[in-house]
Amino acid sequence: MQGYVAGIITLLAINCIAALGVSLFTGFTGIFTLGHAGYMAIGAYTAAILTFKYSVHFIPAIICGGLLAMIVAYLIGIPTLKLVGDYYTIASLGLGEAIRLIIENWESVTRGARGFPGIAPYTSLPVALVFLIIMAVAMFFIVNSSYGRAFKACRDDYVAASLLGFNTAHYRVLSLAVSGFYCGVSGALLAGFMSFVQPVMFDMAKSTELVSVVVFGGLGSISGSLIGATILTLVTELFRPISQYRMLIYGLVLVFVMVFRPEGIMGTNELTLNYIKNIFSAKKKASEFDRRTTDDCAS
Amino acid sequence: MTVLLELKGVSKSFGGVQAVENMSLKLEKGELTGLIGPNGAGKTTVFNLITAVYDVTKGDIEYKGININKLKTYQVVSLGIARTFQNLRLFSGSSVLENVMSAAQQSHKYSFCEAITHLGRWNKFEKKIQDESMQLLERVGLADRAHQRAATLPYGLQRRLEIARACSLRPELLLLDEPAAGMNSEEVEQLNILIQDIHKDYNLTILLIEHHMDMVMEICPHIICMNFGAKIAEGSPECIQSHPEVLKAYLGEE
Amino acid sequence: MDIIQQLINGLSVGSVYALIAVGYSLVYSVLLFSNFAHGGFLVIGGYICYFALRSWGMNIYMASFAALIGAGLSAVLVERVAYRPIRERTPITLYLLIVSMGISIVIENIFVVTIGGRFRALPPVIPMDPVNLFGFATTSAFDLLSLLTAVVFLIGLQLFLVKTKWGLAIRAASYNLKTAGLMGVNVNRLIGIVFFVAGLLAAVGGIFLSARYTLYPQLGSTITTKAFVAAVIGGLGSLPGAVIGSLILGLAEMLTAGFISSQFRDLVVFAILILTLIMRPTGLFGKSVGEKV
Repeated sequence: MQGYVAGIITLLAINCIAALGVSLFTGFTGIFTLGHAGYMAIGAYTAAILTFKYSVHFIPAIICGGLLAMIVAYLIGIPTLKLVGDYYTIASLGLGEAIRLIIENWESVTRGARGFPGIAPYTSLPVALVFLIIMAVAMFFIVNSSYGRAFKACRDDYVAASLLGFNTAHYRVLSLAVSGFYCGVSGALLAGFMSFVQPVMFDMAKSTELVSVVVFGGLGSISGSLIGATILTLVTELFRPISQYRMLIYGLVLVFVMVFRPEGIMGTNELTLNYIKNIFSAKKKASEFDRRTTDDCAS
Repeated sequence: MTVLLELKGVSKSFGGVQAVENMSLKLEKGELTGLIGPNGAGKTTVFNLITAVYDVTKGDIEYKGININKLKTYQVVSLGIARTFQNLRLFSGSSVLENVMSAAQQSHKYSFCEAITHLGRWNKFEKKIQDESMQLLERVGLADRAHQRAATLPYGLQRRLEIARACSLRPELLLLDEPAAGMNSEEVEQLNILIQDIHKDYNLTILLIEHHMDMVMEICPHIICMNFGAKIAEGSPECIQSHPEVLKAYLGEE
Repeated sequence: MDIIQQLINGLSVGSVYALIAVGYSLVYSVLLFSNFAHGGFLVIGGYICYFALRSWGMNIYMASFAALIGAGLSAVLVERVAYRPIRERTPITLYLLIVSMGISIVIENIFVVTIGGRFRALPPVIPMDPVNLFGFATTSAFDLLSLLTAVVFLIGLQLFLVKTKWGLAIRAASYNLKTAGLMGVNVNRLIGIVFFVAGLLAAVGGIFLSARYTLYPQLGSTITTKAFVAAVIGGLGSLPGAVIGSLILGLAEMLTAGFISSQFRDLVVFAILILTLIMRPTGLFGKSVGEKV
């Protein structure tokens, strides 16, 4: 039992790291992507090959996975981030699939569609949690800085942003590169958790999952993305026995959230003490109001 | 008197539509100039050309003697030109303070590594950015609403916020695009005072597009009038008020 | 001779993609969002046709008719239930895109859960015999028929858009939906019609694609991706663009599979997508929506 719980928390941490990366790009910089599974794939395979073939220690291997994903994201980003709206989304879809196809066909290096087995299980619970905590704090720092404001400016109104002196192209590419790093690390950790990677693990369904988690949690909220990742990971794990229905329920959740609460769980708010206090005080104020009005009527 | 901004025979066409035709103007440092003309005269297009939102089809734009035709928008802004917009463009989801800080931070830049670790100059610069922004908000009377979401401000205060945000870029040239649009006469009076104050206190050169004639005539010693993309008159308020071309443009011919 | 065969193959596949891409572009041009559930209508059409042929003993014409109507109606239903509530509340199209992703997953998995995800071959009612073309090349009757059917439906769509009252309303709405509404067009009814047409066209494509490739629930998402790529290459919102993009796609797929290898087929498709967008960021015929500053 303990091993099972530890496994779920580890998977949770891995998903949270990827969610943070996508949150920065889609939530804070406002660019909708359907191709970030590709960066996870790059991170996963890099770490797998480095640890398996070249006996590199897993920590530098994971970081290299993140770095290579970041470099690829940066290079891809420069020409493609000129695209706007749905054009970028579909281009990102194409790019994510292209990465997966290249991995699938480059059999000499990646062992192709059959997958890459035998990876050392280096992602223990402590490892995953340490990476999560460090990267979550780093993301929080990024967002609460000039760069955070720059990303949000590009999201809210890129014309106004450029007229306030922001080189919007530069910030968009930077945001993509950082989110690529996060997804790369997440993929590298996933490789060490499953001891096995396969291109089909990083297909469009995975990219969709990444972005759904962020939307579900709230675009523009770090705590929202973490909460969203947690809830959706737990839900999919709970429904594993009836896995046929798992995806159906997942799709229904997505539909219901978007129809009834499109801003997601947290909206753009962060889960701070203030926020929790406000929720409770709003409830208290409502009940006080009721009491007062009945008193007035009585007198 | 130094010439801060000069347009030399600037033209802009969109396909077949000639939006700006052979437009020339000179702005001397410290001037408060009005730019008037009927709707569609090309006034906002001139702003867009100066700030490189559009490329010039013909002619040259010189800022402090340097040709800025080929520069990108953010480069023009970093040279010291700021603007406000005909249709407000605030960051509506962010707070009032954040809007101003987004501009103020251009003068206090630190690196990404310092941002991700909150080390180095992060603390000192963030404090400076916040202090400067709060000062500016106090100047325009918005300090008590610093943490309010910008979208929830009353319209007149949103316009003020946009001006404050532009000012926190510490520009030398400020382009105001219909800042009094939609305001009643009392709000316009207050805006007059604000514009004249910042003109003096921050040593700004201001080019002001407006339709509120009383405002323009009151605060602008120098006025340029456009119609159909070209300059049709230029001079003092008295000169403009009685200029036949201006009257024809606004009131039509007899 | 081989190349002519591949060309006809490419045109045939491309014309079927065109039916799907055009439906998607039609919805995009009016509502300005990418309907990720579009592939779902394709699959619904395919399955109705399959069961009509297999279980209800209809002939191909009646089965197709049922499939087209069924798919069209399900498209209208999806719009009514999932898209309209969001559309009426907020102008942000991102929410519509995400809910459409959810609907796509729901449709796909309803089929998986109810009738199972295995591959089903359509009864061979569409002739597949080889046909000799004027001695130049041999192709199959299937390719010719799908090409012909696609052309007929596309011409039908064009006539609908140009010659009918609702067609005119749709064209007006594709420029500005709000203004069309202000001019007296019943916007909700118009959107319903747009979705019905899109669903119908997707079903035609679905029938031919399931006959060519066999029918399974995930066929929708696979083909949707290709239709999107085609529509983007041609320029989002442009119907002629969607057709041309689809033909380019079909030809590229067949020529690559025929002369290089089938593994590179999908990569070539994505490479064309990226190259097109780098050179023309709004696709070949896309309208570049300039913002008024």
